[in-house]
Amino acid sequence: MKKSYAWLLALMLVLSAFLAACSGNEKANSKDDEKDDETPVEETGPVDGGTLTYALSSEFKGLLNWNFYDADGDDDIIAFFDDGLISYDENLKAEPNIASWTTDDNQNFTFTFEKGVKWHNGEELTVNDWVFALETIATIGGEHQRWSNVNTIEGAVAFNEGKADKISGLEVVDDYTLKVKFDKARVNNLENLWSYPLSQKEFAGIDPKVMAESPQVRTNPVGTGPYKVNKIIPGESVELVRNEDYWKGKPHIEKIIVKVIASELTTGELKNGSLDMTPFHPTILPEVEALDNVVVERYPGLSYYYVGFKLGKYDGSKNVMDKPKYSDKKLRQAMLYAIDRQAWGEAFFSGLAKPLNRPVPTSHWIAAPNEDMPNQYTYDPEKAKSLLDEAGYVDVDGDGFREDPAGKEFVVKFSHYDTGNPTFEARAKAFTQYWEEVGLKSTLQMTDVNLYYDQIEKDDPALEVFYGGWGTGADPDPLPTWGIDTVWNYPRWVSEEGQQLLEDAVDLSVVGTDTDKRKDLYAQWQAIFNEEVPALPILELEEVMAVSKRVKGVTFDVSGPNDPHEWWIQE
Amino acid sequence: MLKYTLRRLLGMIPMLFLISIVVFSLAKLMPGDSLSGEIDPNNTDPAYIEEMREKLGYNDPIHEQYFNWITKFVQGDFGKSTRYKIPASDIILEKLPNTIYLGATSLLITYILALIMGIYSGRKPYTIGDNLIAGANYLGLALPSFIAGVFAIYFFSFNLGWFPSNGSVDIQVEDGTFAYYLSRLHHVFLPAVVLGLLSTASYTQFLRNDIIENSRKDFVRTARAKGTPESTIYNKHILRNSIIPLITFLGFDIVNIVGGAIITETIFTYPGIGQLFLNSLSQQDYPVLMALTMMFSFLTLFGNLVADILYGFVDPRIRLD
Repeated sequence: MKKSYAWLLALMLVLSAFLAACSGNEKANSKDDEKDDETPVEETGPVDGGTLTYALSSEFKGLLNWNFYDADGDDDIIAFFDDGLISYDENLKAEPNIASWTTDDNQNFTFTFEKGVKWHNGEELTVNDWVFALETIATIGGEHQRWSNVNTIEGAVAFNEGKADKISGLEVVDDYTLKVKFDKARVNNLENLWSYPLSQKEFAGIDPKVMAESPQVRTNPVGTGPYKVNKIIPGESVELVRNEDYWKGKPHIEKIIVKVIASELTTGELKNGSLDMTPFHPTILPEVEALDNVVVERYPGLSYYYVGFKLGKYDGSKNVMDKPKYSDKKLRQAMLYAIDRQAWGEAFFSGLAKPLNRPVPTSHWIAAPNEDMPNQYTYDPEKAKSLLDEAGYVDVDGDGFREDPAGKEFVVKFSHYDTGNPTFEARAKAFTQYWEEVGLKSTLQMTDVNLYYDQIEKDDPALEVFYGGWGTGADPDPLPTWGIDTVWNYPRWVSEEGQQLLEDAVDLSVVGTDTDKRKDLYAQWQAIFNEEVPALPILELEEVMAVSKRVKGVTFDVSGPNDPHEWWIQE
Repeated sequence: MLKYTLRRLLGMIPMLFLISIVVFSLAKLMPGDSLSGEIDPNNTDPAYIEEMREKLGYNDPIHEQYFNWITKFVQGDFGKSTRYKIPASDIILEKLPNTIYLGATSLLITYILALIMGIYSGRKPYTIGDNLIAGANYLGLALPSFIAGVFAIYFFSFNLGWFPSNGSVDIQVEDGTFAYYLSRLHHVFLPAVVLGLLSTASYTQFLRNDIIENSRKDFVRTARAKGTPESTIYNKHILRNSIIPLITFLGFDIVNIVGGAIITETIFTYPGIGQLFLNSLSQQDYPVLMALTMMFSFLTLFGNLVADILYGFVDPRIRLD
């Protein structure tokens, strides 16, 4: 009797310890709230000083140079301390940054550099640093990620093969002027060209093949940007101090700390005020929006998601449409009408998603307005049903599900990747339910993400209807993802007419330098896609960044935040 | 003893060899490879991916890949990390000190807590204090470290603000100063406690039971009869006898710490080899993955060996030869 009483007491004490911790928490919160109310925010204009803490959710690899980085995380850090020669405006059109250019024929370009731009080591940036970068990449050749951004320069291939001791297409006129000749005229020569210099002084004498391992890249990087790297703890944090001589003006914030934190900690750290700025996953948006010391900045993204159908296979050099199961256009259209994309996006992307009717994110200048597309695909199950009836998919055996036109059982086999994120199965299941509502029997298969992409790429028969997405870059050309001869055209869709339009749009002899003409061709292609729906365009995603209310002067457009030297901190 | 140790060490070689075959095959059988995550149609050229696959030997038959890898591995060349682009050994050496520091702190905290609580419970069994400690211990045993870690962060970092929730040191303090070491201790404390939670609980219970058992033995009764003070009996006669078996746990601790670090480091975003291991696994960075797996396997075998040898030391009745 006595013993069991003691146990009870022990349990109660443990519980009360927990409760004490909980109530302590509430007190601490209300104190914070009061503090916030006491200091009214006044707009005083930029203030000097302060430290900004920026968080990354995955470890950075330490390849801290534009010329060698290849992963998420590293680029966020490099952007603080190094500039590109060219930047992109809110429509993703190239605009001069350090370099401006002129061209008459899209083959010969003359670039002019700003004078007085200095590397952090004190050297002045000249066109020779750019030539050095291009030659470095050309020396490494095919093993460098960016070789395809350099090999279009005339003579780059010969230089790579050792047949020439310099790239013939590069002509240094003086320290601030460089003439670049491409192997042929293209509409996107400029966008494709690698436009990040490499400090000649820092990397002098290092074999290009081992540059990525050098301390100049990993622990002691230099750039021309608004902040200088002061200290790096590999894989954990980076301390940056402002570059007093920054060519665009002295930055306001004195120090920037970039640190890696597990994504689960984001909300707590933001609430504590130990974090000022961070990108985050859309699923935690409601929690972050609920914080009163943080503003959620939304800006247009460059990614879109689709549901693809395997219509054929890749034969090693081109795509061939030879799988008949989903070849009926009406079936595919009906499957899109059956989905309530608006509701689905709100449920699984916290409202950050917008339905789209073409495989191009709205922010790209080539995007045709959603409204101009021949089909709007607003949620309409009745329309879906009548389309299926027309196409011959009717219920003949009375089991409540439709059979295919030949009267055989028809099952939509839908696959979705599995990364351990619990919302993925729910959102995939929702699709199969939408389809079952219009009478298409559907099954769902969750596949481990690595295996999933392997299966998609190799046209594994286990995969029929799949969920996928593309994040696109500054170059809007859809050829790499939807062309006839590309392996990344996962649905294996072939449309002669569409291919012709895409090829014409990058053919200088057809479009010249007229962007309106290009845009028109792309709009026609998007209309074909919209009608054929080889992949059902589902939605495009907005990017989000949490910014503490004490950080001012931060604006966002499709290419990300503005230059950090314009930011400032209001204490 | 020496002969025994040598024999055991030699016995490890075929074992490690077999482990390496199994782990390598399993790693390679995983779908995809280290390049499959990198595909970005507008930035990555398919020719680049193909060229890298060819260069890294991913297109060779698996036994050839294994043979290439093991030949270099025994020569001390662990390969170049596909993610970090530096030798795998460099990246492991960069992270290893953090993990050793975490492990050592965790052990220290475990020993201190377990001794205090174990001695108290053993001396005053079945009192409220003993029951409270037992309650806490069962909680410690029942809570998996990933739950304990999350709760620890929630209470001690977010609500009370006593400890940082991530990282190994504050970057703004200068290296080598007193503040620097303090900051490192401040950062390692919470993960170390969570990592040591399980062993603290089992040590405490073990010590308590051993003390209770010893206190009923004849030599204790004799000491009491002689009029030896109670504190001397517990602190000298009993404690010495009860601590000895604990020493043998050291070998298993090495194993536990390495295994536990994988989870704890990931939760606390603490940059050690545990976190490195998980990242390498998800990114399929084979050279780092294989080097780490071999290291973990070796430590497990080594930890068992240490435990066996310590048994022999502590209890001479166990003959090892």
